[in-house]
Amino acid sequence: MRCEECADKLDRFVDRELTNTEALEVQLHLEGCPDCMEHYEFEEHLKRLVKHSCECDKAPTAFRDKLRQILS
Amino acid sequence: MAEPAAKTAFAEEALTHLDTLYRGALRLTHDPDQAQDLVQEAYLRALRYQHSYQAGTNMKAWLFAIMRNLFWDRFKGSRKDDVSLDDVGEFVLYEKLRDEGARPEADVLDKIAASEVVSAVDKLPPLHREVVLLVDVEGFSYKDAAQTLGVPIGTVMSRLHRARQQLQKSLYEYALESGIVRPSGLGQVPQL
Repeated sequence: MRCEECADKLDRFVDRELTNTEALEVQLHLEGCPDCMEHYEFEEHLKRLVKHSCECDKAPTAFRDKLRQILS
Repeated sequence: MAEPAAKTAFAEEALTHLDTLYRGALRLTHDPDQAQDLVQEAYLRALRYQHSYQAGTNMKAWLFAIMRNLFWDRFKGSRKDDVSLDDVGEFVLYEKLRDEGARPEADVLDKIAASEVVSAVDKLPPLHREVVLLVDVEGFSYKDAAQTLGVPIGTVMSRLHRARQQLQKSLYEYALESGIVRPSGLGQVPQL
C-alpha cells in the first residue's frame, strides 16, 4: 500500500468502517511507515478531542426528573 | 395502547439515552431551553409511537431520528437546503501544521481547549453538524447515521468529510489567532 492510498482510507480506518481485509492492509502499512502512523495518531486524537469536548454537556438533573414524571 | 408496565419499561430504557438526545438538541438549537423543549417533545412523540419501535433495534438512533426530525420541522420548516461546504476545499490540518513546522499532536491538539472545539462544531451548518454529532460524538456507524438521517451512506460520508475539513480549518484559524502556531516561516511559539 502506498502512503496516498493509506491517507485516502484513514478516515474510514479511524471510524472503524473498513472491511477486515482493508483494515489489516492499513494497519500493516502504518506499522512500517512512521509518517503515516503519526498522521493516524493525530486523526485519532482529533476524533477523541471532538468527542470528549462535546460530551461534557449532560441533561440537567431537574430536567431528567421532570421527564421521568411526564413519561410515567 | 401499551400496558402500564411495558410503557414504564419503554420510558426507562428511552431515558438511558437522554444525555445523547439533550446534547444533540443543544448543539442543534444552541439554546438550553429550546433543547429541553425539543427533547421533551421527542420523548412524548416516542412514547406515542412506541409501537413502531422494534425491540432489539437501535433505540438511541430511533430517538435521535425523532428529535432531529422535530428540529427540522420546528426550526427550519423542514427546509434542508443547508449552507453548502463545497467551497472549503481540501484542508488537512495535520499536513498544514507539519508545513508550519509544528508538531501537530503535542504542540497543537494538546493545547486546544474543549470550548474551542465545541465552538468549531457549532459553527458547522446543521446538516453537517448532525453528522459529526452522530459519528464522532455518539459513535454511530455510517449505516446507523444514514438510517437516522434518512440519507444514503455515501451522503453521510461526503457530509462527514466536508464537515471535518471545515472543523479542522476552524481549529487551525483558532490556533493561529491564539498564537498556538505561527504562520509559515515563523516557526513554533517558544514555551515560557
